[in-house]
Amino acid sequence: MKKAYLILAIIFSFTACKSDKKNQSESKEDNKPETQEVNVYTHRHYPADQELFASFEKQTGIKVNVVNAKADELIQKMTEEGEQSPADVLITVDAGRLVRAKDKGLLQTVDSEALNKIIPANLRDENNQWFALTKRARVIVYAKDRVKSEDLSSYEDLTSDKWKGKILVRSSNNIYNQSLLASIIANNGEDEAKVWAEKVVANMARTPKGNDRDQVKAVVAGEGDIAIVNTYYIGKLLNSKNPEEVKAGNGVSVFFPNQEGRGTHINVSGAGVAKYAPNKTNAIKFIEFLASKEAQEVFAKANYEYPVNKDVTPSELLSSWGEFKEDLLALSVLGKNNKKAVITFDVAGWK
Amino acid sequence: MAIVCFITVPIGTILFKLFLGPGESWQHIVKNLLLDYSLNSFWLILGCICLTLLFGVSSAWIVSRYNIPFRRPLEWMLILPLAIPSYITAYAYAGFFDYGGSLELLLRSVGSKPFRIDVMNILGLIFVLSISLFPYVYVSARAVFLYQSGRLIEASKMLGVKEFRTFLKIVLPISRPAIVGGLVLVVMEVLNDYGAAKYYGVSTFTTGIFRSWFSLEEPSTAIYLSAILLILVFVFIFIERYQRAGKDYTMTAKSDIKLPRITIAKRKQIPLFFLAFIPVFFGFILPIFQLIYWSFLTFENINYTTFFSTAIQSLAIALLTALVTVFFALLVLYFPKWNALKFLKKSSRITILGYAIPGAVIAIGVMIPTLQLDKWLVKMSNEMFGVKIGLVINGTIIVLLYAYMIRFLAVAFNPIESSHLKIPESLSESSRLLGKGYLKTFFKIDFPLLKSGLLSAFILVFVDAMKELPLTLILKPYDINTLAVKAYEYASDELVMEAALPSLCIVATGILPIILLNRLILK
Repeated sequence: MKKAYLILAIIFSFTACKSDKKNQSESKEDNKPETQEVNVYTHRHYPADQELFASFEKQTGIKVNVVNAKADELIQKMTEEGEQSPADVLITVDAGRLVRAKDKGLLQTVDSEALNKIIPANLRDENNQWFALTKRARVIVYAKDRVKSEDLSSYEDLTSDKWKGKILVRSSNNIYNQSLLASIIANNGEDEAKVWAEKVVANMARTPKGNDRDQVKAVVAGEGDIAIVNTYYIGKLLNSKNPEEVKAGNGVSVFFPNQEGRGTHINVSGAGVAKYAPNKTNAIKFIEFLASKEAQEVFAKANYEYPVNKDVTPSELLSSWGEFKEDLLALSVLGKNNKKAVITFDVAGWK
Repeated sequence: MAIVCFITVPIGTILFKLFLGPGESWQHIVKNLLLDYSLNSFWLILGCICLTLLFGVSSAWIVSRYNIPFRRPLEWMLILPLAIPSYITAYAYAGFFDYGGSLELLLRSVGSKPFRIDVMNILGLIFVLSISLFPYVYVSARAVFLYQSGRLIEASKMLGVKEFRTFLKIVLPISRPAIVGGLVLVVMEVLNDYGAAKYYGVSTFTTGIFRSWFSLEEPSTAIYLSAILLILVFVFIFIERYQRAGKDYTMTAKSDIKLPRITIAKRKQIPLFFLAFIPVFFGFILPIFQLIYWSFLTFENINYTTFFSTAIQSLAIALLTALVTVFFALLVLYFPKWNALKFLKKSSRITILGYAIPGAVIAIGVMIPTLQLDKWLVKMSNEMFGVKIGLVINGTIIVLLYAYMIRFLAVAFNPIESSHLKIPESLSESSRLLGKGYLKTFFKIDFPLLKSGLLSAFILVFVDAMKELPLTLILKPYDINTLAVKAYEYASDELVMEAALPSLCIVATGILPIILLNRLILK
C-alpha cells in the first residue's frame, strides 16, 4: 500500500513538473507585464551603454539587469552555470571572445530579419549566433612633426629597419594585439606572422607597457615615432577632460595601413543570445535595439566607434579621418587563430 | 571537521584539478615563459620584502621610541596607505610621472625644466607595491615594540648597551614573529597583484596565470601555475617556522612596562620626523593628491545617485564580510583546540592559504562546488515537489561572502592568533579545571582578552573587502555594485581619471576604521 502511494506521488510530481514547464513556456509567450526583464552579461562598461539600457527600459518596459565583467570571466561563469544560467545576452568587445562562446555552445542561433538586414555578413556569425554592434580600426598613429604619412604603408612595413627603436605598442596580453596577429596569421601564414612579430619586437622603442592612450602620449613625448592603437582611443584623448591628453591627441595623426592591399584590420564589439536564455524574446528585442539607428548614433557619437548600421554616419571626428578600406576577413577566423597568436607572441618575445 | 571542509572545499577543488594534468601549452610555457615569470616574481618579492622592512620597521621604531613633532598624527597616518588599492596607487604614480603628468605641470609652473622619471618598470613596481603595502609590517612591528620590549630594553640599557645595539640584539629578535607575520601578508599581496603588474608591463606569475587561463583558454595550465605559486608561499612560511622552531614566543599578556620614550635634541628630531614622514608622503599624500586632481577634472561626468547607492552597498558588503570572516577565523583557531585533534590543528593552517591564491582562481573554486549544490537542489525540488526554481545560491550575496571569507581568512587569522598567543594557556586551563565548559571559558576568559585582536582583524578585513576586485567581478549579484568594481570599470576602459572619484571614496571609507585600528594598538 505504501509503495503504491509512493509511486503515485512520484508520478504526480513528474506530471506536475511537466505541466509546470508548459505553464512556464506559455507564460513566457503571454504577457507578464510586471516581471519583464532581460539579463545582460557585458564586457562593455561605458557610460554611453548605460544611457542606452535606460532608454531601452523606457521604450519597452523591459528591465535590463547588467553583470559587468571581463568577457573571459563571463564566459567561464556561463559555462559553469550551464542550463540554469540566467544570462540572456552576452556582449563582448572583440570577435574572438564571441567565437569562443559559440564554440563552447553558449550561444544560440537567432532568426531576426532586422539584424540580418542591418548587419553585413562578414560582421556576423555564419549561423547568426552573434552580431557585431560597433567597429574599431587598429591603426598606426605617427608624430606629426617627425614622420610623414608617405613613410607608412602597411603593418608588414613595420618590420623594416627604418623603424628601429621607433615603434610603441602595448603588451600582447591585450586582445586587440592578439586579434591583429590572428589576422596576419590568416592572411600571411603562421611562419611569416612569427617573423613579423619578432621583427616588430626588435624595432620597439621600449618593452610593451601601459594602455593605448599611454602609447600615444609616449609618441608625443618623443619616446618613439609611431604607435599601433585603436581608433576610438584617439577620439577619447581628443575629448578628454585633461588638457594634457588633448594636447597628446593633437600631436599625432592617424594612418590607415594596408589600403593598397587587404585593408586595415578591424575588430568589433558584438552580442549574442545565450543558449539557455530565459527571456529569449526580450534578448532579441534588446540586440535589435542596439543595432537600431537610434542606438548606433549613440555608439558613434559618445564612444567614437564606427557604427555597423550603414544608415548612421560616424561621428564628425571619425569622418574627418576619411573613409578607409577594411580588411573583410571573416571575424570568426580571428577567434580561431587567437591561441596561435598568443603562442606566437610568446615565442617572439613580445611581452 | 565540517568547518575545515567548508573552508577547504574551494581550495581542494583547485588542487583536484591539478591532478587532471596541465593543458597542452604547458611545455610552451615552461620553455618560453617560466624563467621570466619566476625571475620577475622573485625580484619583485625580494625587493618588496627589503623595502617594506625598511619603511615599516624604521617608521614603527621612530614613532614608538622617540618624541618627535607631530608624532600622534604620524602614528595613524602611517597606516593610511593601506586604504588605497595598490593598483590605484600604481595608476596614480604613472599619472604623476607621465608625459603631461602632474610632475611636469608642477615643474613647468615653477619655471624649471621639466624632466620625467619612468616608473613603469620592475623597479617602479617594487617601489609602488612596497609603499602601499608597508603598513602591514609597520602595524605588527609597532605592536610588539610598544608592549613587549620595554622591560628587556631597560635591562639592556642598564647593562650599558648602546641604543642601536640594543635595537639590533634585543628588539628585532623578539619582534621577529610579528614582523614576519606582516611580511607574509605583504608577500601574498604582491603575489596576488595583477592590475599594477599588468599596467607596468612586468610579467609575473599572476599575470601568467591570467594569460594562460584566458588568452590560451587553458584553466588547467593556469591552475598549474597557481600551484607553483602556492608551493612558493608554503616554502616561505615553512622556512620561517623552521627557523623559529623551539623558541617560545608566548609572552606574558602585556609587559607592564610600556616602551619608554626618549626625548632627544630638537635638531635630531627633525631628520627623524622626515624619516617617518617619507613613507606617509609617498604612500598616501602623493597618490591622493593625484586622485584629487583627477576627480577635479572629471567630477561632472559622474552620476551621483547611482554613485551614492554603490557606496552604501560596498560599505554594507564589507561590514558583513568582516563579521563573517572574523567568526570563521575564531572557529578555525578554537575548534582544533577544543577537540584536541592534532592533525586538524595542522590542517587548519591550510585554510589561511586562501590569501595567496589569486582572487579569480578562488572565484572559480567557489563557483564549481556551489553550482553543483545548486544544480542538485534544482533537480531535487523539481523531482520531489515539481517546482522549478532557478539557481538558489549562485548569483546571491551568500556566494560572494563565502568567497570573501576564504580569501581573507588569513588576514583575520593573523591578528587573532597573535593576541591569542599572548594569553597564557594557564588561564583557560584553570577555568576548565574549575569545571567550566569550553564555550563558557571562551566567552568569559578568551573573548575579552582577544577583543583588540578581533577588532584589528575586523578592520583589516573590512578595508581589504572594500578594495577587493577580481572575485567581486565574477561572483557579485546583479543589482549590487561596489566602488572597487566601479573604479575598475573606468580604469579598464582607459578612463583612469574617471576612476579617481570612486577610488577616493574607497580611501575615505577606509580612513576611519584605520584610525580606530591605531587606537586599538595603543590601548
